[in-house]
Amino acid sequence: MRKAVSFLAVAALTFCMAGSGLAADTIKVGFVDTYTGPATTFTNDVLDGFKMAAEKINSKGGVLGRKITWVTRDDKFKPDIGLTMAKELILNENVDLLAGTINSATALAVSDLCKKEKVPFLVTFSKSDKITGEKGNRYVFSMNENTEMAGRATAKALAKKKFVKYWIAGDDYEYGHAIANGVWNHLKTLNPKVRLLGQSWWKVGETDFTPYITQILAAKPDFVIVATGGGGMVNFQKAAQSTGFNRKVPFYQHTAIELSTLMPQGKNAPEGVYGTANYLFYYPNTKENRAFVEEFRKAYNRYPKSGALYGYMTAQFIAKSFEKAGKVDREKFIDAMAGMTLPSPVGPMEMRACDHQVVLPMYFGVTKKSPKYDFLIASDVVSIPGKEYMPSCAEIAKARAK
Amino acid sequence: MRRSAAPLLLFLLPAALLALPHVLPRFHTYVAAIVLLTGLLATSLNLAIGYTGLYQFGHAVFYGVGAYGTALMLTRSGMPAPVAFLVGPLAAAALSLVMGVICIRLSKLYFGMLQISLGSLVWAVVYRWYSFTGGDDGIHGIPVPDAISSPKGSYYFTLAVTALCVFAMYRIVRSPFGKVIQGIRDNPVRAAAIGVDVKSHQLTALVIAGFFGGVAGSLFVVVENSVFPDMMFWTFSLEVLIMCLLGGMYTFFGPIVGASAIVLLRVFASIHTRYWGLILGTILTLVIIFLPDGVLGVFIRRARPKEPADA
Amino acid sequence: MGFAANLFSTGTLSQILVGLSRTTILFIVSSGMSLILGVLRIPNVAHGSLYMIGAFAAWSVIGFLGGGLFAFLAAMIVAPMIVAAVGFVLERGFFSYLYEREHLMLLLLTFAFMLILGDLVKIVWGPEYRSVTVPDFFRGSAEIFGLPLPWYNLFLLLVGPCIAVFLWLVINRTNLGKIARAAAVDGEMVGAVGIDTGWVFAFTFVLGSFLAGLGGALIAPMVNISIGMDHSLIMETFLIVIIGGLGNMWGALLGSLIFGLTQSLGILVWPQFGIAFPYLAVVAVLVVRPRGLLSSTW
Repeated sequence: MRKAVSFLAVAALTFCMAGSGLAADTIKVGFVDTYTGPATTFTNDVLDGFKMAAEKINSKGGVLGRKITWVTRDDKFKPDIGLTMAKELILNENVDLLAGTINSATALAVSDLCKKEKVPFLVTFSKSDKITGEKGNRYVFSMNENTEMAGRATAKALAKKKFVKYWIAGDDYEYGHAIANGVWNHLKTLNPKVRLLGQSWWKVGETDFTPYITQILAAKPDFVIVATGGGGMVNFQKAAQSTGFNRKVPFYQHTAIELSTLMPQGKNAPEGVYGTANYLFYYPNTKENRAFVEEFRKAYNRYPKSGALYGYMTAQFIAKSFEKAGKVDREKFIDAMAGMTLPSPVGPMEMRACDHQVVLPMYFGVTKKSPKYDFLIASDVVSIPGKEYMPSCAEIAKARAK
Repeated sequence: MRRSAAPLLLFLLPAALLALPHVLPRFHTYVAAIVLLTGLLATSLNLAIGYTGLYQFGHAVFYGVGAYGTALMLTRSGMPAPVAFLVGPLAAAALSLVMGVICIRLSKLYFGMLQISLGSLVWAVVYRWYSFTGGDDGIHGIPVPDAISSPKGSYYFTLAVTALCVFAMYRIVRSPFGKVIQGIRDNPVRAAAIGVDVKSHQLTALVIAGFFGGVAGSLFVVVENSVFPDMMFWTFSLEVLIMCLLGGMYTFFGPIVGASAIVLLRVFASIHTRYWGLILGTILTLVIIFLPDGVLGVFIRRARPKEPADA
Repeated sequence: MGFAANLFSTGTLSQILVGLSRTTILFIVSSGMSLILGVLRIPNVAHGSLYMIGAFAAWSVIGFLGGGLFAFLAAMIVAPMIVAAVGFVLERGFFSYLYEREHLMLLLLTFAFMLILGDLVKIVWGPEYRSVTVPDFFRGSAEIFGLPLPWYNLFLLLVGPCIAVFLWLVINRTNLGKIARAAAVDGEMVGAVGIDTGWVFAFTFVLGSFLAGLGGALIAPMVNISIGMDHSLIMETFLIVIIGGLGNMWGALLGSLIFGLTQSLGILVWPQFGIAFPYLAVVAVLVVRPRGLLSSTW
């Protein structure tokens, strides 16, 4: 009995200590992200985009003579596990940089940890505007748009339309409200004529939208802002399609035109839905974008989604920043990355120095069937340059001073 | 074996715990702190479920309220830190009293489900009251006094508070009051018949359990500097329940053993695999089928009256 | 603001009417749980996982048969059968040996099954979203009070009462149902008169699992089928069964109605805390009637 116990104890100890290896001659990036559950639709693309770029960089000799390596940890969409895994990567795996997190709560918690540990953290999907806004710090970078940016870009596009009577609906959580507020606050200032008829909010994971759709139709709005996220995107579009909602009232969802929303629905997705997205594999039809899509398809046999762009550019920024810094030093890396502009599949992409928020275009379009693909794509795409919808550095400074 | 090992263990364990941050790397020290505070949480739950026999299904709520109470005091009020560390657990105890008064009339499964409902109400408020609690994003970067914010400092603080609380609970269980609640657990009808005020004893036990659950929450703030609404969701309540069961529900130190096992497994299995649920579920199934008294319960086979089978 | 005005607006009536389809799903799933809880006394947390498997299985069946109305209807039968088979394995393989255990142990055992089944689903179907579309037959919507009500929701409103009647018949008109009801009240007595309760219990568990699977298959066309859909449902189901009265079929129906309606009306009254209303309703019911609304078999 005793032998068995001591054997177990030793085995357990070995198990716990395993994994702590020093890697002196590589650049080690630690990813903390959700790799189980529905969020993987987005996070796998980030990782694959990153891998594709990193492998290419490594095959050309790496950065400063070192190869880029990566380790992943699954946070199961839980902030406490995410925080523990981030600590493990920093303290045990000795990673040079952290990246990842689709969960905003995790991103904010890890961002605070990284500030204390002085480790750069590149956020690759979380949409909270607090990451680089109110709670921003020297060590955190955002590689994607956030709710505030999406709101402003959408407001800009909608202000040009003739809609006056609006209705707001959405998933009743922070992301939903942030998107809705982002759009509405800026739309009001850009077009003072708009009126809000009412709002409806449903719990996250709602499956039956008919009561809300009925309520909205009864009010007869010109346009509806639907602030759904994650699984709610498809759930609402399915309801819109089956009630014919999209044919009665035009509506908008952030990421409605994105592949992650449209592809699972095939040809049955609703037409005429307005949406915004950071990336479309068929637009802009430039040489750079076509090359990126082709490379991604060759590597993974699927079309790249927004996440692929974020992950791909994360690797590029890491490589170029270390090159510019001249040595593998976290502080020098931050100084090098702030203010850097790199070419990307969607044109030049800037890492703004004042808030470490990436500046990239936003595409506004309407869903439409296409003879070329067996899913819907965006038509009438308008590209809104990053500079036009970013909160100014002064606004960021004001938010951070609070 | 147990007799001879006990004094040795009594000496070795504190020595090992005190030396730990000097021997182990920082990450493992941090995990040890999480183990300690989770052990405290599980022990506090066991006070209600193992010793009093109440189906406390929403215990994570007290943990969360303790954490949020402390976090909100530290971030929003100018009060000194010790006040914040008192407010969290006291808020948890107060909530425990209120919920106890509402639930106490119900028995077993009904008690548990009503508690989950009330707990879900608290969770919903925390989750949605964005301007006050930070909503689903939680509160981060909570300023903790310098003395206990360093890795070693937070570990020793957690160790000291956990040791103190566990000792206090041990004394409570061994006190006349502790004997009475165990009597109520084993046979409430008989206890009432010999003149024991069953309800007020149960309520007291619930408040004590809530208070120490709140202390564990405050310690979480010290170790992680963050709080999130997930901490008080019902799935976590069930996880804590599992810790008690795994270690042994009718032993005093069982829940600590269970908590250590689950926390260590979760941290180190998460590094190596994505199928954490499969592992935990399988272990749990095996324990329930083959070791119904829990891991520690097997070592300490003490005769105890069988539970009345009916709800 | 006009909360009251909100409540009495024209939308309210139709909101109640159309919101009933959500109640249908809740009822089908919770009646299965109530059955298992009432007869076998197992608080089955893994019931939500069975519901999730039902949805994934429906996706597979529809994909296998290539879509269309026939594939859809076949999936509505085959998917719950698959789930029923899983239930059979669970009951014969594990629960049948453990009926003497405390409820608490059984609850934790089913929690363990929930974790295992969740990961197994991930292994079998992968972690990505799956989606099933409503067959053409049910596409589009009817106009009621000038407002659209999808045909599929109407279909659900029809299915709900059918299931209720079917269950009532099984429980009250078949021998098996009568034995199950007797076993729920006094299992030892049923055993004493020479009836093998083991197979009655197995049948009950399989029927309960079938209902969970049916709920999952029926909801499949309306949602993103994903890992985690069990979590959001299981607690609601539990609370419905508790407020309705353990093991009481009509209680499950009543509980589903209360849960479904407080949810949609709560959001009208106070949008910010809409998610709290169903829990508030549960608390109110249990404070007034500590053992649920209708008589329990316990």
